[in-house]
Amino acid sequence: MFSSSTQLKFWTFSGVTELNRLRAEANETYVSEYGKNETIYYLTAEDETKVRRHYEYVIKDFCTRFQPPMPRSVLGTALVFFKRIYLHNSIMDYHPRDIQHTCVYLACKVEEFNVSLQQFVAQLKGDREAAMDVILSQELLLMRLLHFHLTVHNPFRPLEGLFIDLKTRCEDIDNVERLRPGAEEFLDKALHTDVPLIFSPSQIALAGILASGKNAGVSLDNYVANKLLVSGGQENLLKTVEHIKRIKYMVKNQDPLIREDVKILERRLDACRNPENNPNSETFKRKMEEYLDDEDEKKAKKRQKWEEVRLCFVHSSVYIQIFLSFSRRNQ
Amino acid sequence: MSDLACPRCKTTKYRNPDLKLMVNVCGHSLCENCVDLLFVRGSGSCLECSVPLRRNNFRLQMFEDSYVEKETDIRKKILKDFNKKEEDFSSLREFNDYLEDVETIVFNLTNGIDLEETKRKVELYKKEHQDSIRKNRAKMSKEEEELEDMIATEREIVENNRNIIQAEINREKKQKLKQKEALIDDLMFSDLPANHIVATHQQEVSSQKIKSSELKTTKFSTGISMGKRDAFLPIKPVVEGKVFTYSPLTIHTAGPDFPPAHDIQNLGYLSHIRAASDQERAGGYEASLACERALQEAFCGLYLTS
Repeated sequence: MFSSSTQLKFWTFSGVTELNRLRAEANETYVSEYGKNETIYYLTAEDETKVRRHYEYVIKDFCTRFQPPMPRSVLGTALVFFKRIYLHNSIMDYHPRDIQHTCVYLACKVEEFNVSLQQFVAQLKGDREAAMDVILSQELLLMRLLHFHLTVHNPFRPLEGLFIDLKTRCEDIDNVERLRPGAEEFLDKALHTDVPLIFSPSQIALAGILASGKNAGVSLDNYVANKLLVSGGQENLLKTVEHIKRIKYMVKNQDPLIREDVKILERRLDACRNPENNPNSETFKRKMEEYLDDEDEKKAKKRQKWEEVRLCFVHSSVYIQIFLSFSRRNQ
Repeated sequence: MSDLACPRCKTTKYRNPDLKLMVNVCGHSLCENCVDLLFVRGSGSCLECSVPLRRNNFRLQMFEDSYVEKETDIRKKILKDFNKKEEDFSSLREFNDYLEDVETIVFNLTNGIDLEETKRKVELYKKEHQDSIRKNRAKMSKEEEELEDMIATEREIVENNRNIIQAEINREKKQKLKQKEALIDDLMFSDLPANHIVATHQQEVSSQKIKSSELKTTKFSTGISMGKRDAFLPIKPVVEGKVFTYSPLTIHTAGPDFPPAHDIQNLGYLSHIRAASDQERAGGYEASLACERALQEAFCGLYLTS
């Protein structure tokens, strides 16, 4: 249930200002740690937002083209994962190109949409073996970045619930189903904004239905005020209505994304990204090798220790035999 | 055990279950019959290493491995002379060094390393420490003394117990006799009718019996005595904690109340969703489950204020 979820406790924020502050902090931390080289241009928080939004659309494209077709909740979960990660981390630290597929793969698991890794990689272009390595090596990292809060409450099921309720309690509205395409489109758009990080999924779903109703010329005010929210009193009603207005505003007024800008920023990102997390860089390979060497060394040490223990055991068993024989003689 | 065999006559334990292997100082084994045959004259040489042996040095082999046998033998001999105790040394370190030396000597002798030199060493030690060896042999070690003490005290306790029991029995016997005599005396000299006297005496005897049985208490090994009066004292009342009271689970939904699960059908919600198929119902799925979940999620968090 959403009211007792980690989503509400840790991943629901007061508003855009707080989100932007967190992102700016993540950007500053990265620049203060790695930004020693003055010849390189480090991305600002605004640049990061642009790149991030670009990759959100990339993820959406990938998910809609996926065969077999995946449920929309997978896309929703993947996008929320993606947003959560870049709240506390800079895209220069973890490149979205590596993160995006892992997000979708993990979302498939979380939403119980069963695809094997081979099946999943088959949908990608380019080197599939390498992609497989990246996904497997980053899955755990990704979960750590998400603080292992893997359950995401998407607005899709609340939307269904609202439709059922609408059909049951408002028989005066004919053909409720015609509101569906508009509402779903609204939710799709909402996924690309910061709305899932600020509002509850049911509020987003309600905003979707209301927006769709407005477009179709159906007034749902009566339903909302006198049926759905009647038990909460006037105060709650007003608050919810205000929230829904905010959601509608945020979904409708998105900044357009300029393709050329993103291209330039991506080129800059390649220069300033963290080499330790780049699977193609020398630093990463060296680190990996060191790690593997360490493992080997540990294993060798372990084997040596075992040998010592074994010898010790053999010696002591001889002594025990001698001792026993001696004591038996004495008796 | 079946591969135990005499090296001379090749008899095995399997063929002769009574086979007894004997061993001498050199550590090579022979069966009892062969020893009888070969050492009729009381002495001879070992078949394998031709070391001169005496017949009365033969003893039963206790270990399958003759090496261990030889080792124990040598150890026993060496320890007869190297019989110093820990209290003979000023520090633990010295004592340990001494033990180490003894082990080295035993090892050398068993494995035939520096045989001559080691033997000389042992002889030298014997000569040097003649007095102390003799003294130590005579002196019982501390541990042995303690053990002896313990056994003695134990024996004493047992003896005491037996005496007490014996005294008790004697006392009872005496009492019985006394009672009988008293009864006869009364019958002889009293003016009361005979059956009356018998009845009073019987009463007395039975009351005494009850008294003695009351006094008897059995003590268990755990120290709890049985048969004592205070075993029947009332049990102290146990102070109990507060009794658990059930309070129904309250769910904070931050939204309007959702229709209760049992009313979903009555309120007509189910007519708007797909009915569960037979296969789905076989697995325990009901249409109301999905409906309830969707409604819960739709209502939960509607009043949320961030």
